[in-house]
Amino acid sequence: MLSYLIKRILLLVPVFLAVSAVIFLILHLIPGDPVDNLLKVGSSASKRAEIEARYGLDRPLIVQYGIWLGNVLQGDLGTSIVTRRPVAQLIGQVMPDSLQLGGLALLLSSVAGVLLGVLAAKARDRWPDRLVMGGVLLGSTLPSFWIGLILILVFSVQLGWFPVSGARGWSSLVLPVITIGLGGIALVARVTRVAMIDTAGRDFVLLLHAKGLPPGRILWRHVLRHAMIPVVTILALRIGWILGGAVTVEYVFARPGLGTTLIKALNQHDYPVVQACLLMLAIAVMLGTLLGDIIQALMDPRVREAIT
Amino acid sequence: MFQSFRMHLLAGSTCLAALIPASLWAQEAVFVLGSSEVGIPNYNPLTAVNTNAAFTMIYDTLVEQDGDLSFHPHLAESWEEAPDGKSWVFHLKPGVKFHNGDPLTSDTIVQWIEMFRSSENSYMTDNVEKVEAVDETTVRFVMKNPDPNLLYNLSSSFMAIPDPKVVTELGEDYGITEAVGTGPFKLESFTLGQETVLVRNDDYAWASPLAENQGPPHLARLTFREIPEDSTAFLELKSGGVDALLSLPTDYLGEIGAEPSLALAEIPGQEVYYMPINVTKEPFTDIRVRQAAALAINQDEILKNVFSNYGQVAHNFLISALPESKIDPALDISFDPDKANALLDEAGWVKGTDGVREKDGKKLTVALWTQSDSVFRRLTEVVQAELKAVGFDPQIQTFDSSVIRDEYKKGEQQLAVRSYFWNNADIVDWFFGGDRLGYPNISMFNDPKAEELRAKAMSGSATQEERVANFTAYHAYVTSQFPYAPIYQPEQNMAYNKDRIVIPGVIHGNSITGTVVQDISVKE
Repeated sequence: MLSYLIKRILLLVPVFLAVSAVIFLILHLIPGDPVDNLLKVGSSASKRAEIEARYGLDRPLIVQYGIWLGNVLQGDLGTSIVTRRPVAQLIGQVMPDSLQLGGLALLLSSVAGVLLGVLAAKARDRWPDRLVMGGVLLGSTLPSFWIGLILILVFSVQLGWFPVSGARGWSSLVLPVITIGLGGIALVARVTRVAMIDTAGRDFVLLLHAKGLPPGRILWRHVLRHAMIPVVTILALRIGWILGGAVTVEYVFARPGLGTTLIKALNQHDYPVVQACLLMLAIAVMLGTLLGDIIQALMDPRVREAIT
Repeated sequence: MFQSFRMHLLAGSTCLAALIPASLWAQEAVFVLGSSEVGIPNYNPLTAVNTNAAFTMIYDTLVEQDGDLSFHPHLAESWEEAPDGKSWVFHLKPGVKFHNGDPLTSDTIVQWIEMFRSSENSYMTDNVEKVEAVDETTVRFVMKNPDPNLLYNLSSSFMAIPDPKVVTELGEDYGITEAVGTGPFKLESFTLGQETVLVRNDDYAWASPLAENQGPPHLARLTFREIPEDSTAFLELKSGGVDALLSLPTDYLGEIGAEPSLALAEIPGQEVYYMPINVTKEPFTDIRVRQAAALAINQDEILKNVFSNYGQVAHNFLISALPESKIDPALDISFDPDKANALLDEAGWVKGTDGVREKDGKKLTVALWTQSDSVFRRLTEVVQAELKAVGFDPQIQTFDSSVIRDEYKKGEQQLAVRSYFWNNADIVDWFFGGDRLGYPNISMFNDPKAEELRAKAMSGSATQEERVANFTAYHAYVTSQFPYAPIYQPEQNMAYNKDRIVIPGVIHGNSITGTVVQDISVKE
């Protein structure tokens, strides 16, 4: 198991290098010049040169990448061009907001998704199943941007239950969490349903029935546990996705977070901030994948055996 | 398409809104900053490349400019300019104190200007030789060259006066954790990209005479929020979550009338929409084709159909409040399709059976650039149809707003639809100066006569009258060469909840400044 873990972690190194190179290069291929945003009516050419030199933008691209990567590995994410603050500090300020939103959305999708999935599997091909599966289709296809606006219209403007936007206490978290969580609920419910139905048809379940165990106990203790393997894997993979998926939702609800920071930095061509945000999202996805693999190994004896 | 769906969605919703009070306390208000004002990294006027309304609440300026562009006293009670324009004397209001209790004296001004001259915005004091303290409340600006634009610069929010001592002490932290001015409000907290909370300066007794209320402001607490998504901001206003949007997005102008609790405060605009024409690109190297394109734009129709009759049409490059916009009316550019057609005929472009003109087997197909914001996309479609009507075949190309400047720099554009935000005639120099080809000189206009007039306007004026005359001549000549077509000048529309907020009938300022907020109160 330990050697598997080490192998998996070592595999992340080339992935990380590739991701960091892509993040760095893509950004420099986008047309646009961060210096433009720092200059204003009447600024001279020498002012431009001075600013370029200050941020190292006058060096060759490969040198800029080397310096950046070296600094990142030492935990230095650079200095924001626009705010002139350390990027690590800016990210540190908004990270708790993003993690709170993403964490709650993940919790909502796991609990609600599993319950709905079990319900659909139990009532297979009857109306509760159809209803849940219809909802799954909607939840996974509607853009979260649109869902967010609809939720605001209904629950904030019409009913006045929650604030429209901002980050003021728990009440302002409800709508964004639901908005992000809906996609996750849909996914988890679908995977749970399929896994439950698949497991329920296995020989060992037939044996449990033959032994005379109550159906409820078979469902919740044996079938569900077995069916959870793919669900937990999906959830782990979703950790990174939830941070990334929050980008538009944070924007709609005017919440602080990695997403709003990323969009603003993109508009202002604040390269160091964009790079850091993308890197955080990529790292979240990589860690999520790693976690998914580990959990799968721990839960499924077959995978455990195959790797030892 | 999404845009129009969203509009229907909002229009269709009835207002059963349970009004959530924006704040639990009386005399507290929440305003949302306009989209051009968001993303301020700090409240340090010495490093700012962009400012927002809160700057004018925290800081005061020596001079205040009204909506009609006239200048009025603020921290300077009065001033005199030497007849030769080589010096200005400003008399400071006595007893002015910074938020930390430090007095504002002539020495403060001397130190501040010294710091300002090494700041990002130092060009504003390029014509100043030195500043001297004559006595405690008198300062003299000794000029290198006469600069009739000095008052304009001194009234700008970039020349808001911070406490030089605190700026030096705090360094890079200045304007983030703390910002010390003499303004009607003190900075309580600033969360980057989210909100700025201000509290009343109870000692405030030096408001500009433009404000009726000469004491501390009525509002005890004022919060400025940044909401990047327009529909969210409008829904906040509609649900009572905020009290005002400093700049209502054009898309929502039509919605205000349908909401009994909402009203608009119109402030004279500082923005002009126009169509730059690249004079170096065929077929626009021919002045007749440029003129035809300019005359094809139906300003009145655009005002009515795109902007719901809010604001006014533009017939030249400058906002109409500027005296330099009063050029010879014969040079003003107005819709004239007959003349446009005649000019194109004369230039040898013959209308084909499909309505598109041709010359030497080449069609009159031109690229029409625009940026991705919804108002520009809609406006550009109308401009495209109008150009088509006289025989052009315009192909719209849309660029993201954040990258279009870099595309302009390559100089490949033919026509574009864009806008600028400025209320001084020196903007003609910025967009048509021969040394700024590509961007900002999108028209790639470089004309020897214009350059001569430009030099005279920029540095050859001793008095304000001379400057007006020189800039009017420069502006008139540029316009006569058709490197652009004027389209529209919006008002600044502040949308507010009239059940909550009382706004003075006439707004004395060219935006919602600290001076304007002096007279704003919450209904109790």
